[in-house]
Amino acid sequence: MAEVRLNNLTKSYGGVEVIPPLDLTIPDKSFSVLVGPSGCGKSTLLRMVAGLEEVTSGQITIGGEDVTDADPAKRGIAMVFQSYALYPHMSVADNIGFALKLAKTPKDEIRTRVKEAAAILQLEDYLDRKPKALSGGQRQRVAIGRAIVRQPKVFLFDEPLSNLDAALRAQMRVELAELHEKLGATMIYVTHDQVEAMTMADQIVVLKKGEVQQVGAPLDLYNTPENTFVAEFIGMPKMNLLNGATAARFGGDKVGVRPEHLEISSDNPIVSGEVVHAEYLGADTIAHVQSAEAGRVVVRLDGSHPLQRGSEITLSPRPGCLRIFDANGQSLGAA
Amino acid sequence: MAVAETNNIISPAQGRPSALKRALSDGRLVTVLVFLPPALLLFTLFVTLPLIEAAGYAGYKWSGYGDPTEWVGMRNFEILQKHSAFHQSLMNTVWVIVASCLLQIPLAMSMALLIYRKTWSNTVFRLIFFAPYILAEVATGLIWSFIFDGDYGVAAMASQALGGEPFFPLSDRTWAFPVVLFVVVWKFFGFHMMIFIAALQGIPEDLTEAARIDGAKPGQITWFVKLPLLKPAIAVSVFFAVIGSLQLFDLIVPLTNGGPSNSTHTIVSYLYTFGLTRLKVGFGSAVGIVLFLITVAFAVVYRNTAMKET
Ligand SMILES: Nc1ncnc2c1ncn2[C@@H]1O[C@H](COP(=O)(O)OP(=O)(O)O)[C@@H](O)[C@H]1O
Ligand SMILES: [Mg+2]
Repeated sequence: MAEVRLNNLTKSYGGVEVIPPLDLTIPDKSFSVLVGPSGCGKSTLLRMVAGLEEVTSGQITIGGEDVTDADPAKRGIAMVFQSYALYPHMSVADNIGFALKLAKTPKDEIRTRVKEAAAILQLEDYLDRKPKALSGGQRQRVAIGRAIVRQPKVFLFDEPLSNLDAALRAQMRVELAELHEKLGATMIYVTHDQVEAMTMADQIVVLKKGEVQQVGAPLDLYNTPENTFVAEFIGMPKMNLLNGATAARFGGDKVGVRPEHLEISSDNPIVSGEVVHAEYLGADTIAHVQSAEAGRVVVRLDGSHPLQRGSEITLSPRPGCLRIFDANGQSLGAA
Repeated sequence: MAVAETNNIISPAQGRPSALKRALSDGRLVTVLVFLPPALLLFTLFVTLPLIEAAGYAGYKWSGYGDPTEWVGMRNFEILQKHSAFHQSLMNTVWVIVASCLLQIPLAMSMALLIYRKTWSNTVFRLIFFAPYILAEVATGLIWSFIFDGDYGVAAMASQALGGEPFFPLSDRTWAFPVVLFVVVWKFFGFHMMIFIAALQGIPEDLTEAARIDGAKPGQITWFVKLPLLKPAIAVSVFFAVIGSLQLFDLIVPLTNGGPSNSTHTIVSYLYTFGLTRLKVGFGSAVGIVLFLITVAFAVVYRNTAMKET
């Protein structure tokens, strides 16, 4: 059992409160992603769980055990850093085996366990190399190997993929998800990239200025965002938020509709305007529509749609796909 | 790296451009032509030519006045080879090197590890430990010669308090050179400490944090992570320590002036005493040549071994 609980946790740097009182439960064996814009306190939160950052007040438990003031090494956690933080003077094998060496594990056992970890990560051929002789993706794997070999209860990842190119990132996302299946450990993953959150998470925690905005499964957040921040943060292209008269028609201050939930039709028109720009992605066409009453609206259409720049179109939402928000940005439900 | 890659991307169509063409196109040739001549001229004028000239004097018996006329061949070197004071000065220089590497550098490293983090109090300590290095060497020598003076200095107070005979460590054959070594270590450890502080601050925090998570205690983080990453800095430090030891002079003169009975000379203070003050410039030049060869040999060997893969 390695459920991670944060009770009333806060963090201040010299009077500046970075994390206001925060409660959060990371279920055992879950892949939980903390996502939010840069500077919202994700790393700070993760580092407090790791024990690298002191807690200002509140409590952290891992597997029911209070670890608020415990040493990082005694928490049953392992961490993968954004920079990988590999020891440059040690070979790959020594990097992976360092924790075991410090724990005075017998040499034979270190060797077998390093080999096992290397096999999982396809690093067998590189064990004797120094980190600088590896590619970015391989370094990433070594960093993960270093975490795996300790058999921690909880894995902590701080933006581990952000130094990789797009193709490698997509591949590593899949590998990390598979690794989670295989190891069955609790994983807490920090990213500013909502795509990573959506593709890997069992549970997404959306943060803004240190405050939890919403916790839930990816599709819950996508379908029923609790406020405009989550609505805009999750999903690409972002949800359109229309205000003024359009919103008033539905009894809210703002009304949100996702680009893919709009169709060219006059059944239940919500906006009409001129196509100012269109991106042809093959499967989809993303059209930017400028309307007099609602401003700029983005719509995702079928890729086969012949759409001329400058043409006038009228858009209707699919039934039940509108999200209504009040003046504070809180959800009032669907329409 | 980045620059080289860009070049490769631009020019695959015309094949490998010649080195000259490349140097021209990225402006390196112009840089060389503009910046090299002044430096080369000054170096030739003030280093290379005097060196060659000195090498010439080494073959003469010459007081420094008038033109050197009395050619003696290798005689100056033969005298040198037989002079026990010179042997002593070589041994002393070796001892300065040993003390620098085995006392001073470890001391500097320990201090650096204690105070490398940027805090208010650490800045104060850094300033204090660095102060001896800023002090002029002659002034340092004078200050310490007062301290170790058996009539008025701290040494006098100590011997009075203990009720013993007045003690003059700097005129004592057993103690004079250890005192010199002590002053050398005291004077220069701040310099090495600064090198190590800069290097320690360059170690990414992530690495030490990763080590903490891996279960390393502070001592183990130092031993397994920090020290290996400081190897290049240590190599540089040792280099400066050895070169500095070979050239040690200004401290010796006010402290002991080579005495008692020539037991505390370094190579350079030997050169000064037996070459210049005794108006034997030809002989002094010979000592200079020997020192130059030792220094160059060390520099070449060291750069190609200890400083190589770092
Ligand atoms: N050591 C520190 N001292 C002062 N402020 C800090 C420190 N570390 C982080 N912060 C501040 O805390 C906030 C959250 O930082 P961080 O957790 O790194 O954000 P994120 O990882 O979400 O981008 C930022 O506003 C940052 O400026
Ligand atoms: Mg961060």
